[in-house]
Amino acid sequence: MSMSDRVKNSVVGGVIALLAVLVIGLVATNQSPGDRVEQIGSRIKCPVCQGESIADSPARMAMDMMALVEERVAAGASDDVIVDELLGSFTGAVLLDPTVSGSTLLLWLAPLVALIVGVGVIIWWKRHPGEESRNQARAPTNRRLVGGLIVIGGLVLIVGVATVLIQDGAETASGAAEVGVDNLDDVSNETMEAVIAANLDNPEINGMRLALAERYFETGDYRNAFPHFLSVAQSTIATDEEATIALVRLGWMAYDGNGEVETATDLLDQALEISPRSPVALYIKGQVLWCGANNTDDASTVFEEILAQTDLAEDTRSRVESDLALTSTGATCT
Amino acid sequence: MNGRVLKIGALTIAAVAIVFSVVLASRFGRDPALVESPLLGQSAPTLQLELLDGSATFDMADLKGSIVVVNFFASWCLECRKEHADLVATSNAFADRNVRFVQIAYQEDPAATLGYLEDVGVSEATTYLRDDRSRAAIAYGVFGIPETFFIDESGTVVGKIIGEADALILGATLDSIIAGETPGQQTTGDTRQKPDA
Repeated sequence: MSMSDRVKNSVVGGVIALLAVLVIGLVATNQSPGDRVEQIGSRIKCPVCQGESIADSPARMAMDMMALVEERVAAGASDDVIVDELLGSFTGAVLLDPTVSGSTLLLWLAPLVALIVGVGVIIWWKRHPGEESRNQARAPTNRRLVGGLIVIGGLVLIVGVATVLIQDGAETASGAAEVGVDNLDDVSNETMEAVIAANLDNPEINGMRLALAERYFETGDYRNAFPHFLSVAQSTIATDEEATIALVRLGWMAYDGNGEVETATDLLDQALEISPRSPVALYIKGQVLWCGANNTDDASTVFEEILAQTDLAEDTRSRVESDLALTSTGATCT
Repeated sequence: MNGRVLKIGALTIAAVAIVFSVVLASRFGRDPALVESPLLGQSAPTLQLELLDGSATFDMADLKGSIVVVNFFASWCLECRKEHADLVATSNAFADRNVRFVQIAYQEDPAATLGYLEDVGVSEATTYLRDDRSRAAIAYGVFGIPETFFIDESGTVVGKIIGEADALILGATLDSIIAGETPGQQTTGDTRQKPDA
């Protein structure tokens, strides 16, 4: 074949190749909407399946996602916009051809590394068609080049692996945020109400009820405190201590909130039936007798009963002594 | 010298191949559902969904200005049944704190969901919606249920619970949002797919 024939053949071959590229390009850019839907669907991993695209999966979620893709294609959205819309809610985990970032970097680097290594091997074999030993003295530079390429490829891959591991660590760390509930003091009244309402059958809920009721009681919110104290007082599984404090609070609220002295006294007597030596029950009863019924004699008797207890806290003893000093003289409660 | 370079190169490749394999293998068991939701810090999806009984359309955009809790559930999901009473109780307890609960039925016949709610009870303060074409589930990137999202008053997604939530977790999360904090994402347990999915 002459030189001109070779040139001619090359030109013809080039033209044919160019035409082929153009035809393929035209076909590719003139896809039907259905083809586009399929193509986009084949890129997106079904989030509820194992390794299937939404185009291939029969899962309800996959079919609904395909319907959404179809709708967006019909509306004129571009492929990238549609994919971005889905990625905006699901994370890159649903893309079958992941973007070059983060944990997907390794996958994209692998072909590059393979290419570098492959080129290295090809050069090596081209430069060393025979036995390695025969060529050692002749082409040391080329062998260094091959070795260098292999090492570079390895280093690139190591960097990729490290990047993936670092990014995975960051993802895990950011995903581990938690709302801590170490102390009930940090929890709102609403949260405690919700926990109580959701655990009515839980025998251990009385403790939280009392804690919440005490919060309301201390702020003078008797309306919200009342149902919780009443529930504990009527609970068959409440401890003596829980039942006593609930009855004492109910008694005080009956007197202080409604001025119902008789009801208050009844409730305090119920508390004292459970815990006869309870200083708080006795003290509140003394207060109701003194301030509500203006009965200083009975009030004094109750205060003396408290002071007879040897294990009384010092501040309680001091307060009772002070009140007894007044009731014993028939002073009016102020 | 040259043989040594080649040996080092070959060993490097072998070592890297091993690391490559280990890393890839370790990623097979990785659950994409546990990766942090890209919605966190973003505006919540604006959706119009039908009420569960089909009586009207509900525009989620109308909730802007309130703290919103969006929960995906279904009667076939055991964890959803377990957390239902807690959702109802928390919705009731926070109704006066500008908090609105929205529960969206996930891949279930609305009639079945309505029957289920009749059995287990509802909160008057909660809006129950249907999602026939999974548009809400797609918009929120739901991998399985139960999943619960928290949206602050500005309409930004600030929290997500993957798995069963109880009243203490729900309430504490709302407490932190009311306090101006960003609770983020936490996983309390497994999620489920519809058995025949």
